[in-house]
Amino acid sequence: MAIAATIPIAQFEEQPHAVGQGLVRKSVEPILKTENLWKLYHAGKVEVPALRGVNFSVQPGESVAVMGPSGCGKSTLLYTIGGLASATRGTVLVDGNDLAAMSDSERTKLRRSKIGFVFQRFNLLPTMTAKGNIAIAQYIHGDGFDPHRFDVVTKLLGLEGRLNHKPSEMSGGEQQRVAIARAIINEPKILLADEPTGNLDTKNSDVVLEMLRQLNKELGQTIVMITHNPEAVTYFDRVVHMRDGVIVDGIPAD
Amino acid sequence: MMGEMIFRNLLHRPIRTIIGILAIGVEVALVVLVVGLTSGILTETAKRVEGIGADIMLQSPSAQVFLAFSGSPMPIKIADRLRELKYVRSVSPVFLQFSSSGGIDLVYGIDRDSFNAVSGGFVFLSGKDMEGPDDLLVDDLAAQAKHIKVGDTFNLLNHDWHVAGIVEHGKGARLFVPLLTLQDLGGAHDKASVFLLKCTRPEHTEDVINQMQPLLPNYKIHALKDYLSLMTSTNVPGLNVFVNAMIALAVCIGLLVIFLTMYTTVVERTRDIGVLKSLGATSPFIVRAILMESVALCFGGIAAGVGLSYAVRAGFVKAFPTLSILITPEWVLRAGIIAMIGAVLGASYPAWMASRRDAVEALTFD
Repeated sequence: MAIAATIPIAQFEEQPHAVGQGLVRKSVEPILKTENLWKLYHAGKVEVPALRGVNFSVQPGESVAVMGPSGCGKSTLLYTIGGLASATRGTVLVDGNDLAAMSDSERTKLRRSKIGFVFQRFNLLPTMTAKGNIAIAQYIHGDGFDPHRFDVVTKLLGLEGRLNHKPSEMSGGEQQRVAIARAIINEPKILLADEPTGNLDTKNSDVVLEMLRQLNKELGQTIVMITHNPEAVTYFDRVVHMRDGVIVDGIPAD
Repeated sequence: MMGEMIFRNLLHRPIRTIIGILAIGVEVALVVLVVGLTSGILTETAKRVEGIGADIMLQSPSAQVFLAFSGSPMPIKIADRLRELKYVRSVSPVFLQFSSSGGIDLVYGIDRDSFNAVSGGFVFLSGKDMEGPDDLLVDDLAAQAKHIKVGDTFNLLNHDWHVAGIVEHGKGARLFVPLLTLQDLGGAHDKASVFLLKCTRPEHTEDVINQMQPLLPNYKIHALKDYLSLMTSTNVPGLNVFVNAMIALAVCIGLLVIFLTMYTTVVERTRDIGVLKSLGATSPFIVRAILMESVALCFGGIAAGVGLSYAVRAGFVKAFPTLSILITPEWVLRAGIIAMIGAVLGASYPAWMASRRDAVEALTFD
């Protein structure tokens, strides 16, 4: 599917440093950066560190896969850099904004405008149709329903014929494509995906990963994805490994 | 978009939605019917008293405006003094008794001639006027409700009466017996509960009242043209408290049901709340969504409650023709507002709880 043919050129103009076919990444400020990021959870009176001084950065237009064993802090890192969870210590800079210094409502506003989430369990609103699930993101964003953008995104993800179906009437792959559409409908700076292929079979996993790659390569969409799937990392520019709440390396995928 | 989300959420759990609507409907109907029943009975009673055709009613000092609570009877000789007053055309003593057999009835013991002089006489639908001491007149609604016809023997106040006639309703009570017989049964010889006065002309009412006041200080003297305005729940001892208690009970039912409905809704949709937060929905957005759903539920409940009220009234009136339930737009509106306030209050805690929910916990909720 040729994404560049369907997405407005404005998307490229907004991402002058995007990485992709024919586009050159320049040395710029990271769009996402953590410095000595700590996140502690409380289990009764015991403090359990989920992140222990994570230093991590992502350039605009970059796609990064985060891998590691269960419980190593991958999801916590994703939720913290996405502003869903607050950092215990350290800084989280998203497009120059320090999430750690923000209130919950300020983080909510920033998340609304700059971050899109895709989850392993799709997390679509079960009562709404596919169209409603995507449009609700536009509604919450505050700009109202943009039919042009809606059409572009739904065509991009091949959802035209499924828009009036509820999640229960769609396959896992279709549900995840709806979730991706919902995540990118407001043109977020960063797309955060938490094991988006974890509930999908191989065929649907490949479709979803290919779409994420196209979003990155053709539109310059910055993507950070958590995955357990070793094959998935081949779709990304960079792979980061985590263990025990810290990043242990950062190696190119190829 | 918000409207669509709320509508779809309500449709998603139809049984819960229907139960919520019915509960609010019962709340609204309870308020409308309790108020309607009390005000209906009062208004209907007042209209019947007004319908007698008298200009003035005299009651003892301890009497209540509601005739069933008429207090201690007065000496019947008062009638003679009243007849001497200027502009008084006729005076009729009436002795009242409550009958609780086969329903609650107010029985008028009347002196036929003076009552006819004051009221202009009954309109007979069948039978004839009282002649013997055990004769009974019944109005058409009571006759229908009690399945009474002319010639029947009807036991009332442990006394067998002969049904002499069926009369058109609207002359004070529904059951009329001779004054002397009722006085005997009540052990109140030469006593009357009320005196009804007819003036030579209606515009003399005020003059007659002015003459009566010094003659009968502390006695209750009412111009019957104002009687309807006096028949309110505030003038009946305890009735206002009862009505308010019933309204409070109804509000509690509605509030608790809405609370439970919205609480379970919020718990069930924990993950959805996490999703909305991940999309950037603020706490006020979440609160608004929950409250609006509750309000939507409430609108359905109000409509159901109004329908239920009319259905119950129709059923009751068919089963008990003498019953009067007055449903007014004012009280329908009030009941709706009461239900709405209850719905918003009931949904407030679940809405607050949802807005405070940790987004990450919500997203991982099973």
